[in-house]
Amino acid sequence: MKAFAYANAKTEAGVHEAVGKGYRIKAAGIDLLDLQKERVESTDKIVSILGVSALKGIRETEKGIEIGALTTLAELVESAVVDAKCRALADSVRNAASPQLRSVATVGGNICQRPRCWYFRSKDHECLKKGGGTCFAVEGDNTYHALYGRGPCHIVHASNVATALVALGGEVDAATAKIGRTIPASEFFVTPDRNMYGENALAEGELVRAIRIPKNVEKAAYVDFKEKQSFDWPLASCCAAKVGGKWNVVLGAAAPVPWQAKKAAEILDGASAITHAVAEAAADAALEGAAPMSRNAWRLKLVRAAVRRAVLIADGKEIDA
Amino acid sequence: MNPANDVALENERPRVDIRQKITGAARYTADQQPARMIFAKAVRFPYGAGKVVSADVEAAKKVKGVLEVEVDMEEVAEYPGAPIGHIVAESRAAIEDAEEALALKFERTAPKTDPVALHKAPESPQGGVFEGAAAVVEGTWRTQVQTHSCLEPHGSVVDHRGASAEVWGSTQTTFGHLDGMKGPTGLDASQIVVHCEYVGGGFGSKFGIGREGDLAARMSKKYQRPCKAMLDRSEEHLDGGNRPGSIQYIKLAADKDGKLLGGRMDLVSIVGHGRGGGGVAGLGDVYDLGAIEETESEINLNFAKPRAFRAPGWPQAVFALEGALDALAAKLGMDPIAFRIKNDKSQRRKERQYRVGADLIGWKDRKPDGTATGRVRRGFGMGSALWPTWPTKCGAQADIFRSGRVEVRVGVQDIGTGTFTLVTDVAAHELGIDRDLVTGRVGDSRFPAGPGSGGSQVSRSAAPATVNAVRDALDQLKASVASEWKIDKEKVKYGKGTFSTEDGAKKLEWAKACALLADEKVTGNGRTETGTEGSGTSDCVQFAEVEVDTETGIVRVKKIVAVHAAGVVVNRLTFENQICGGVIQGISYALFENVRLDPKTGAMVNADFIGYKIAGSKDIPEIVPVLDVEPGDTGVRPIGEPSTIPTAAAIANAVSNAIGARIMELPITPQRVLAALESKGGAA
Repeated sequence: MKAFAYANAKTEAGVHEAVGKGYRIKAAGIDLLDLQKERVESTDKIVSILGVSALKGIRETEKGIEIGALTTLAELVESAVVDAKCRALADSVRNAASPQLRSVATVGGNICQRPRCWYFRSKDHECLKKGGGTCFAVEGDNTYHALYGRGPCHIVHASNVATALVALGGEVDAATAKIGRTIPASEFFVTPDRNMYGENALAEGELVRAIRIPKNVEKAAYVDFKEKQSFDWPLASCCAAKVGGKWNVVLGAAAPVPWQAKKAAEILDGASAITHAVAEAAADAALEGAAPMSRNAWRLKLVRAAVRRAVLIADGKEIDA
Repeated sequence: MNPANDVALENERPRVDIRQKITGAARYTADQQPARMIFAKAVRFPYGAGKVVSADVEAAKKVKGVLEVEVDMEEVAEYPGAPIGHIVAESRAAIEDAEEALALKFERTAPKTDPVALHKAPESPQGGVFEGAAAVVEGTWRTQVQTHSCLEPHGSVVDHRGASAEVWGSTQTTFGHLDGMKGPTGLDASQIVVHCEYVGGGFGSKFGIGREGDLAARMSKKYQRPCKAMLDRSEEHLDGGNRPGSIQYIKLAADKDGKLLGGRMDLVSIVGHGRGGGGVAGLGDVYDLGAIEETESEINLNFAKPRAFRAPGWPQAVFALEGALDALAAKLGMDPIAFRIKNDKSQRRKERQYRVGADLIGWKDRKPDGTATGRVRRGFGMGSALWPTWPTKCGAQADIFRSGRVEVRVGVQDIGTGTFTLVTDVAAHELGIDRDLVTGRVGDSRFPAGPGSGGSQVSRSAAPATVNAVRDALDQLKASVASEWKIDKEKVKYGKGTFSTEDGAKKLEWAKACALLADEKVTGNGRTETGTEGSGTSDCVQFAEVEVDTETGIVRVKKIVAVHAAGVVVNRLTFENQICGGVIQGISYALFENVRLDPKTGAMVNADFIGYKIAGSKDIPEIVPVLDVEPGDTGVRPIGEPSTIPTAAAIANAVSNAIGARIMELPITPQRVLAALESKGGAA
């Protein structure tokens, strides 16, 4: 790891001041320090925001729930408020990574983490995301790469929280030194054709302050499938949620952003009741527009299963007919 | 050991170094930090094949703290991770900065990464045993390349002081390390001390000092400062050892009673850019297979040479063979166990192990292949194996102190398997005194020599050597007692901490007897020339119960029953620990581990512990280790290797049983399970 200057901020103003001097923001550092160790990043100034107490805590507000960016995944999973109002959000990380990591990794860091693509993570592969001319996944080992989106970069978004956040109609509260803003989650995550060098809409040095979940979540469930049951990323995941009378079906580990399966949602919106047949139809519809790569078409079966189960569980049904 | 002794050696006390291991007090080679230490690391080629075309060596040398940089521009690299130079610096950070400053540019040539594309399928043999056979099975089984993934990476710390050197080695062989250090230090064995008290795993990959040990020694000699060269996690995957993959074509015939008639096996090892690692081994040892025609060959890939890996050649061979046997049993309509009993060479397995294991796994609930219904299907499978013994020499030394304390010294290493505990418990048992009075010391080249931790031979040789050393020391203590009592030494009786005269008229407790010693201590020497005293073949069978989600292809192992002949178990906990470790490594091999090479660049894309998947805590099922004993078991038998051999075979057979399609390739990923369900193909 390259040596870097390290600062601790205690206030948001302190964070912005450091950012103004060229410091990179670090929360728990799970991802950033990995990238530094892998020499994919060679940042020479890092500011820790862990001391900024305003970014901590889970609050119920008039509009719903606000979860501070520095809330750890373990706190999210253990929160009674989250459990009562949007358990699917907690389910997305209930088994993520390892207990050690969940006890330090933050919600803000989770949604901002860089892709797990093994070409992106290799300093020896100068891929599109790092300014090179090739997406190595196209002719390489793309087993875990995108099933939707058609590139040109074929990563899948690494955050489980992101999948749930979009499905639950959430938003991201962010701020620069000058101005704060609220970004709908569906616009927060952006595809490589809009931002090749990042995975979200944040401006340089913009700080994620919190995520918000609206109070009109009626039904929701998150399902994912992993090869390993400990410390693994999903092969496929789905968060299905009914928010303000409308269904969202969002696929994780499927595309460079949480992927909205709009056809599937339309089927659910048009159904008078969620039956097994309706869930199957929605699952089939979720596969429309898929563009799997040379080694990963088999994962579409898992996508289908994830949608089917998420819809049924959200509606309170057994997954087996 | 000694058939006359009682063999109830088994105790259940925690390993003697448990506190050190749990608290971090145990100092591994990677933990050594002598004053003024420098660091050395190889510069490595990242892709499958090619060479360096430019390197800014001058810029790298200018990095603060860098002592030297060398890059071999002529070296043609044949595998990812191939060393092409080295950097020596005051810190690891300086080495990394120098690596970046080198700004290496490479020329790549097309790598060989796909063994299947390089494999020529054999023609199906006809006639012979296949003619008129009641059942014939034919198929091609494949296994992946697995890396050893030692938690403590390979490496050495060498402190060369001109006329002597002190060495810490993460090694499976104290004395192999001593031998290997002679050349690069330019010293004689009498001038070198090797320490390897604590070693964080080896599994067969830590024989020889390796290039990293060689580099540490040469640089320490050159700079006359301690030098550390430890691999990092990526290097560990790339150049720290691997189990060869395999492509095994098998065609087998059986008669209507289930007796194997023979057949054909074309066994291909996938061996990286060299040879080794044991190929595909052990096929005819467990069962009488009949008349087998066998060919063996190799496919080379642009990957590091294989090394011996916990039962070299066996897990892959047993996976394929047990799969073929299950397929044959199914064709004959026989229960897989009944079929094996017809062909098994081991009385132990036939008379006891199959029955005990079947009871514990719940074999009676097993349904015929493919008849389970529902989304989640349960299956049962089994696999058998053995591990042999051969002559092994080992020495030991034992001191009895005037204070009553005892120290036992054996030079062999403890790679995590419990050698400390073994020598301590054996000595305490032999003397009939409390374990707390005994200190066992291992992993030091100044102690009596013994074998490397390969082929599961340390316990079975260190145990009798320790017994003999302790007896020699005890004999000297008896002489002191005899002199005190003014009788012949032969007339002094000893048992369980008490000395007595033949008539029992005089008695002396351990502490008081020791206090009679004229000198501070007496030292006994012991040896074994065979390491097979009372030992024998370690027969075993393992059973697996799995659940397969047929919608997702995800396999969950629910339970493993591991029935092992282990002879005399010295310590129940280290026995169970060893069996569970082998089973966990087998589960990980069966379901997850796999070296992935990029087809274009030849780089290993998963040279870490995220992309290279290893079983985690939630992937580990209930494991039931069963010690199989029979009258006449009087010595220590090997368990290190056999505990991992049949696990993958048992799991694969259980999955095949659950889904009604044969699993022909490891690892058993959701992708392969879904494909098998779709084709219902495989061995026919």
